[in-house]
Amino acid sequence: MESPNRLLLLAATLAATVMLSGCASLRWPWSDDKELEQQASEDQAAAEEAAEEADTTPPRVIEPNVARRKIKTPKIDNENWEVGAGMGFVSIEDFGTNSGYAAMLAYHVTEDFFFRADLGQSTAGETSFETLAGDVELLTGDERRFTYYSLSLGYNFLPGEVFLGRGTAMNSSFYVLGGIGSVDFAGDDRLTINFGAGYRVLPTDWLAIHLGVQDRVFDSDLLGETKVTNNIEMILSATVFF
Amino acid sequence: MEPSITTTRSRRLRRISLGLSLVFACSLSATVLAKETEAEKAAKEAAAQEKLLQVFVHEPYLELSTGPGRGYPVFHVVERDESVDVLYRRTDWFKVRTESGVEGYARARDMRRTRLADGTPFIFNLGDRDGFTSHDWEIGIGGGDYGGANLISAYGAYSLTDNMKVELNLSQFLGNASNGYKAELGLTHVIVPEWRLSPFLELGTGYVLTEPRATLVLPEDREDQTAYVGAGLRFYLTRRFFVRADYRWHTIFTSRDDNEELEEWKVLIACFF
Repeated sequence: MESPNRLLLLAATLAATVMLSGCASLRWPWSDDKELEQQASEDQAAAEEAAEEADTTPPRVIEPNVARRKIKTPKIDNENWEVGAGMGFVSIEDFGTNSGYAAMLAYHVTEDFFFRADLGQSTAGETSFETLAGDVELLTGDERRFTYYSLSLGYNFLPGEVFLGRGTAMNSSFYVLGGIGSVDFAGDDRLTINFGAGYRVLPTDWLAIHLGVQDRVFDSDLLGETKVTNNIEMILSATVFF
Repeated sequence: MEPSITTTRSRRLRRISLGLSLVFACSLSATVLAKETEAEKAAKEAAAQEKLLQVFVHEPYLELSTGPGRGYPVFHVVERDESVDVLYRRTDWFKVRTESGVEGYARARDMRRTRLADGTPFIFNLGDRDGFTSHDWEIGIGGGDYGGANLISAYGAYSLTDNMKVELNLSQFLGNASNGYKAELGLTHVIVPEWRLSPFLELGTGYVLTEPRATLVLPEDREDQTAYVGAGLRFYLTRRFFVRADYRWHTIFTSRDDNEELEEWKVLIACFF
């Protein structure tokens, strides 16, 4: 009966020695860790000292030896304004056709649309009645002056090039415009509606030649009854862009 | 008494010599002026060349057209990494000069894709909705009603901030009783500039010149100071365009005992740049 008990005991001891062989590496609460704690505190002190040293000496920073390029962009010249003057004919309803001259200022908002201000002057001739009747004068010399201005919105269409001979090409385009304004004629200011069309050719980038036709419409009661008058002008002008 | 032959002859001679000397002086001054202008031109060109902006093509190529418009043909192509000098801008086109001296117009849209010498993109005002919110200048024309008279009006404004603008308004009014002109300077406050339809308030002062119609008995032209308060709306259309409509309430400080009060409304089409 003894041998199985002994065998069991032997096996248990063997198992215990095998299984508990690593117990020394574990930190049991009852084990003596004073040495370890001392070592840890020493390490901490050393780290603190190192930190103090780091505070006093500046950290090393790598400075790249490359200068930043400062680029100052020059202002770009905008050339959207156009100014010019011209001459032509102005037909004043009932008062014949006479020469006139005009000035204009335009601002090109996009390649298609532009704002334009026109200022012009002509002198009215005689009505048929005055011519036939002889010495009848409907208007005084001062009142015959036909001065107008208008503010218009225009649209460029059919842009393209015209060719003069083999070697010269000029930019060109047609335009339509319309707006409101006023005319000072026969001693009174009248509200006008104007609309027209024109053709422009640019011999150089900054110079343009315009041929424009505009109708200025206003109510007139000069010859008795109030009626709508159409006053058509044709002006050839030269303008510069700036 | 008739003048003798010698005196008329000497007079004629004097006249001719005077004319000749005038022509000579004119031509001399013209040549001097021409020389000066040539020298000035050369100096200006040299100065201008120094200041030109250089941009580099970043896309595969940059097309150059003969004119500032979609109808003008493309005649030259600038390759990637080559540079162009920007001469000037006209509407949505830039006049540029290549390294080999070829000059042509490049689209603003294409120029947006070029780079500056330091590699940063070339940024400029494209004239779109962002420009409506924030811009320097605006101009506009339109018409309306000023105390019963027809009104023709033009204005220009400069932006102090996105909200605040200084505005100069020049108008002519044509009525049954009187015609006249007025000029007004004021401040405009756009309440929320980033809204497409945005309201604004106005306050200002000006002068009005009233010319009574000839048929009426009122004796002479009057020039009076005015002040106004107003409110309006501005609506962004497209590209650089917007419409603005406003109502102004004017007080005219007349030389009579009572001040005159007038209402004005107008609609203007305007653009910003």
